[in-house]
Amino acid sequence: MQRRDFPDARLLQLTAGAAIAVVFWFVVRGGLPEMWRTPGSPALYLTGVAGVLLLLVPVVFVVVKRGGQGANPVGWFNAHILCSLAGMVLVAIHSGGFLRRPPALLLLALVALAALGVWARVRGSRRMAATFAAKAPAFTRPDAAARERLRALIIEKRSLLTELDPLASEGTFSVNLPQFIRSPRLALAYRRLAREESRLLGTRRAVSMQQAWWRPLHMALAWLFVLGVVIHVVTVTFFAGYVADGGPITWWHLRAWGG
Amino acid sequence: MDMTTPPKNTPASPPSERLALLIDLERCTGCKSCEAACKTEHRLGPGEYRNKVVWASALEEAGLAFLTLTCQHCERPACLRACPVNPKAIAKDPVTGIVRVDESRCTGCGECVIACPYSAMGYDAKGHHAVKCDLCVDRRAEGAATTACASVCPTQAIRFGKRADLLAAAEQSGRAPRDQDHFLLGPATIYLERTTPELSGTATALTPARAHPGESRRPSFMDAVAAQNKVQATLPAFPYGESREHTTPDRVVPGGCNICFNCCTVKFYFKNNKLVKITGNDDDPLLQGKVCPKSQLTLQMYHSEHRLLYPQKRVGARGEGRFERISWDQALDEIAEKLKKVRDQYGAEALAMFIGTRTGILDYRATTKMFAQLFGTPNKDGTDPFCASGKNVAFEITLGSIGSGNSYTENDLGSAELYVYIGDNQAETRPVYFGMINDWRIRNGAKMVAVDPRLTATASKADRWLPIRPGTDMALGLALAQHILANNLHDAQFCADWVLGFEQWRDYIMGQGYTPEWAATATGIAAEEIKRLAEEIAAANGCVIFASRGVNQHSNSTQTNRVLMFVAAITGNWGRRGGAYFNMSAGTPIAAKVPADRAPKINRPRVRRSPAGWTEAMLHGKPYPIRALITCNNPLAQWPGQARAREAFAALDLMVHIELFANETSAYADYLLPAASGIEKGEIGRSNDDRRIVWIDKMIDPPGEAKSDTWIWIELGKRFGFDDVLKDRYKDPAVFWDEVCIDSDGLRGCTQKRLHSVPYRWVRQPVATEDAPEIETLYLEGTTVPGGAPGRRFPTKSGKLEFWTGELEAKFNTLGLSALPEFYSEREQLIDLPYVELLDSDAEAGVISPFCSPATGSSRGRIVAPDMDHPGAKLRAQGFDTELVTGRPAAAHFHSWTHYFWQSQEMWPDLYCQIHPDKAAQLGIKDGERVRVESAHGSIEAMAWVHAGIRSTAVFIPIGWGERQPYNPWRSVNFLTDKTQRDPVSDQTNLKVLLCRVSRAVG
Repeated sequence: MQRRDFPDARLLQLTAGAAIAVVFWFVVRGGLPEMWRTPGSPALYLTGVAGVLLLLVPVVFVVVKRGGQGANPVGWFNAHILCSLAGMVLVAIHSGGFLRRPPALLLLALVALAALGVWARVRGSRRMAATFAAKAPAFTRPDAAARERLRALIIEKRSLLTELDPLASEGTFSVNLPQFIRSPRLALAYRRLAREESRLLGTRRAVSMQQAWWRPLHMALAWLFVLGVVIHVVTVTFFAGYVADGGPITWWHLRAWGG
Repeated sequence: MDMTTPPKNTPASPPSERLALLIDLERCTGCKSCEAACKTEHRLGPGEYRNKVVWASALEEAGLAFLTLTCQHCERPACLRACPVNPKAIAKDPVTGIVRVDESRCTGCGECVIACPYSAMGYDAKGHHAVKCDLCVDRRAEGAATTACASVCPTQAIRFGKRADLLAAAEQSGRAPRDQDHFLLGPATIYLERTTPELSGTATALTPARAHPGESRRPSFMDAVAAQNKVQATLPAFPYGESREHTTPDRVVPGGCNICFNCCTVKFYFKNNKLVKITGNDDDPLLQGKVCPKSQLTLQMYHSEHRLLYPQKRVGARGEGRFERISWDQALDEIAEKLKKVRDQYGAEALAMFIGTRTGILDYRATTKMFAQLFGTPNKDGTDPFCASGKNVAFEITLGSIGSGNSYTENDLGSAELYVYIGDNQAETRPVYFGMINDWRIRNGAKMVAVDPRLTATASKADRWLPIRPGTDMALGLALAQHILANNLHDAQFCADWVLGFEQWRDYIMGQGYTPEWAATATGIAAEEIKRLAEEIAAANGCVIFASRGVNQHSNSTQTNRVLMFVAAITGNWGRRGGAYFNMSAGTPIAAKVPADRAPKINRPRVRRSPAGWTEAMLHGKPYPIRALITCNNPLAQWPGQARAREAFAALDLMVHIELFANETSAYADYLLPAASGIEKGEIGRSNDDRRIVWIDKMIDPPGEAKSDTWIWIELGKRFGFDDVLKDRYKDPAVFWDEVCIDSDGLRGCTQKRLHSVPYRWVRQPVATEDAPEIETLYLEGTTVPGGAPGRRFPTKSGKLEFWTGELEAKFNTLGLSALPEFYSEREQLIDLPYVELLDSDAEAGVISPFCSPATGSSRGRIVAPDMDHPGAKLRAQGFDTELVTGRPAAAHFHSWTHYFWQSQEMWPDLYCQIHPDKAAQLGIKDGERVRVESAHGSIEAMAWVHAGIRSTAVFIPIGWGERQPYNPWRSVNFLTDKTQRDPVSDQTNLKVLLCRVSRAVG
C-alpha cells in the first residue's frame, strides 16, 4: 500500500496557512460586524461548535489507531493534522479576540500542540533518524543484576498475560485500547510492568530530552485541551450567568447559574 | 527458565528456521560497504539507516574493532511492543523470526526508535516513518540468495542464513558468539568475538586491542550534526527514495569499477536504460561479488547534480570561479589557437600535461601520451611521482618489470605463513584484496604484523603493530637484512643462483653496522622486536611483505623499496607461491606510440618527473618556460606545496581543466571541459595488484554535453592535424584497445573478444595470444619469463634480480647516491637523522636522470648528516614538535571525486586530524573539536579525532578534501606539505613526515 504522508514542506505550508488565517482574523476583526466581535454571538458560537467538531477528529484518530479498527492509520494521522489546524483557526475566531479570559488558555494549548507537532515532524524526526546506532548501552558489558530484575519482571508479565490475553505472546504483546476497556485493572497492571521493563532497559533515558518527551507532552497537552473544552462547554451551558458576568447571554445554554 | 522462549500458546520462530545475520568482528574492517549496499538496495536517503558500522573499541585504547549494527530480530522485539498502532505497524514473522515495519501503517511517532535498546531502528526523516532491516525479504523474494550487505562485504564479515546453521559453523571453527542479550530480548543477530592473539612482550610492539566490552562509540566528527545536516539538506538524486517497483532492473551488464587499485568487478543494473544499482559481480570466481563502498557509490557519480555538463570559459579573475557557457567547437578552437601561440613563442615543451588516473588508464597511458608525442612535449605526467614512482623505479631496476608477479589466489598469496604490512593500509585502500588476505590468515592460522605509525584498520587485524617513526622504514629494512645475514638465516641458494650483486650488498650491509640496535633508535622499535620480525620472515614458509604509500611517499622512496625487496629476495620470497614483495599495483603494459615520423623532435628534456617540479618553469620560465597546462584531476588539492602551485597556475598563459566536477583547479582554469567516466565512456579499470585487466563497456551516455577524455583529445588533435594518428574511430574505446593499446607481448592476447568471453570481464596479463593461459604466479623456479629467452627467469637483462651492478652504481652516482642503499630519512624529524639535500633547485636544469624516459631533468642529491643547525632542528626550536603524516582516508573516499558523492560524505564528512589522547590532553583538545595545524609551509584546520592508535608524537590528516567541495569543504592538507623534499632517483615527494604544531582552532 502506498504511504501518503505530508512532506515537511506541505506541513509547513498548512501550518503557515493556519497561522496567517489566525493573524488575519485578529487584524481585520475590528472592522467586522458586531456579531463577529461579540463572544457567544450565534456566529461565534457556531464557529466554536464547528471548531470543536473538527478537533474531535484527532480524538477519533487516537481511537482508530489504538482500537484496532483503522485500515489506514496514516490517512487518519493526516486528517488529525488538517482538522487540528482548521479547528485551531475556528477556535481562534470563536474567541472573538478576547485573549485575557481563562478560555484563551485553550487557544494557547492548541497553538502549543500545533507547534510541538510541527517541530516533531520537521526537526524532531532528524533526531529520530540520528538515533540509529547512537545509544551508548548497545554493546556494553551485560549487567547481571539488571538481567535478573528483567527476568523476574518477564515472569510476572507472563503470569499476568494468561489472564489478560491467554492467546498472546508476552514477547510481542502490548496492551491496546479494547483491552483497557474490557479489563482496565489487568491492563493497567500489565502496563505498569511494561513501563518498568522499559525503565530497566533505559531506552528513553538514552535519547535526548526533546526526543524522549515530545510525544508524552503532546498527548498530555491534548488531554488538557480536551479537559479544558469540557469545562468550557459545561460552564457556558450550565453556568451561563457566571460567564456573562451581568451581561446578556447570547448563546444557547441550559442553565444560567452563577449570574 | 529461558526468558527468550515464549510460552506454549504463543507463536515462536522454530529454531531451525530462524534467519539471522552473523557478523564477525575479526573480519570487519569498518569499510562501510554494507551501508552502501543497504542504501542502494533499499534506496535509502541521507540520514536513513538500516545498518551502520560502529566502533566496538573505545577511542582511548590502541585498538580498532568494528561491527555492523543492524536489527537484532529479537524474540521479544521491544520495538514491536512499543508500537501504539493496533494492529501493529511492526510484525514478526512466526517462522523466520524477521521483524518488519509495515510502512503503510506507520504514523511515524518514533516510539519504536526510542524503545530499541540496540538503537537499530532507523527512521526516514523525510518520509516520517520507521525503517529497519528486514533481512532483504524483497530482494530474496526476487531470487537473491543472501542479503545485500552480506553479498558485498569485502571481508566476508557478514553472513546470512539460518541462525542454527550459522551458530554451528561458528562453533565448528572454534569461534565464540558475543553475549549481547543484555535485555533478555533474544536477539537473533550473531556477533563473533575477536580471536585472541598472542601477547607481545615488548613495549614498542603493541598487540592491537580487541573488541572492547565497555564503551563503544564512533569518532565525534563522524556524526557531527552540522556536517550531517549539509548532506541531509540535499535531495539525493535518482534512484534513492524511489520505490522498489520503479527501480527493479530489466538488464544487467558486467563491468568494473574505475576508481581505485582494487579494480573490483561489478554489475551494472538498468531499468529502461537508466542505471538503478551497482553491486559486486558474483560471477567473478576471484572476487565473488565482494566490493568496497566506492564502487557502489559511483551510482551517485553517474546521477550527481554536481557534474559539469557543458564547456565553460572563464570570465572572472583566476581563482574566482566565474565562467560562461560556450560550445565545444568554440572551446576547442580557442584552446588550439592559444596552444599554437604558446608553441610558436616558447616551443612545444612549453605545454605541460598533468593527467591523473581519474582520467582512465586508456587516456593516461595511450591517448594523452600519443597527443604529447605528436605535439612534441615531454612535460606530461600523472600522479605517480606523488604516489608510486619510487617503487616503480625500484621494481624496474631490481626485477626489470613493475609488480611482484603473484596473484590473490588460495594457491599463491593464500598459502603464505606470514603477512607483513609496512606502510600499507590495505584494508582501507584495497578492501577486497585485504578481505582475501584476512580470510586466509584466519582460516590458515597465518601471522600478520603491521608496521605503521598508525594503528590502521589493517593493523587492527595484525598480531603485532609496530608503531614505527615515519620515514625510517629503510632503517628497519636494513636492520632486518643485517640480522638475517649475520645469522645466516637467508636463502643462500636463491641468493647465489638468482641475485646479481648479492655479495657486494651483503658486505656493504655487514660493514655499515646496520644492526637492530642501531635501527632501534631511528625507528623507535626495540631491537628485540626487529630481530624477532627478521627471524619470522626468514623462517616462514612463505612471507608476503606488503608495502605502499607509507614507504613510497618519501625522499628515500626508491632506496627503501629496494631494501625491502632485498629482504624478500634473500629470504627466498620472490618467484614463489606465497612469498612476495608487494607494492600495490602492477603496471599495465600499454605501449601506445605514434609513428616515429609523426613525432617531432623534442629539443629539451622534461623539466622534472614530478609535476610539482614544474612550478618554477611556470612562474619564472626556468629552466625553460612552461606557459600552458592541460590538466585533469585536481592538482590544486593534490600537489604538494599548494601555495606555490597556486602562484604558478595563476601565472600561466593558458590553463585547461578536464574534469567531472568543478573543484579548486577549475577555478584557475581558462577553459573547463566536462568529462565522462566509467560506463559513460568505456575503459579499463585501474592498474591493480594482481595484473587483472578489467574491461568496462560504454553503457550510458554522459550527462549533458560531457565527453570522454578520448573524444576531447582526438577532437583537439584534429585542430593540429593529428587525426591520421589519433583517428576518429578511436573514440570507440573497444576499437582503440584492440588496434592500439595491446600491441605488446603482455597484452596481445587480451583482446576485446577474450575480455568479453568471460562474465567477469577480466583477463590476467601477460597473455601473448588470445588462447594463451593466464599465469597465476610469475617467475617460478624452472620457468621462463614470458617473451624471454629460455631459462631467463626474471625480466632483467641478466635474468636475475639485480641488487648491484657496476652500471647501476654509475647511474646512482649520477644523482649523488650509491646503488648500495645508505640510510637516510627526512629533513623534518623529531630526532636528528641523516637526510637528503637536493643540490639543484627546480629552476635549474640539473642532470638528466638515468632512471627516466623520456629524458628528464633531475636534481642531484647529497646525504647530509644532521648538525645542530639543520632545518629539522631549527623547526623543532620554533615549536614544530609533531610529526605530520598524510595519507588516504577510509575506504569510502578516494582523492577529490568521492567528495561529490553524498553518501561518502555522510560516512566521512569532515577533514579530520587523528591525534593521540596524550597529545590531545596536553593541548586541551577534545574529540570532535576544531584544530589548527601549522607546518613551516602553511596551515589548515580540521576536526580532531582523538585516537590512541597513533604514535603519541604524530598526527594524521588525510588527503582529498578541498575548499570548493559541495558538502564539507576544507583546505587541502597539501597546504602543509613541501614540494622541495623529493627523492633524487624517482622525484617522489615526501608526504609522510613533516614537522607541525597543533592547537585548538580559535573561533
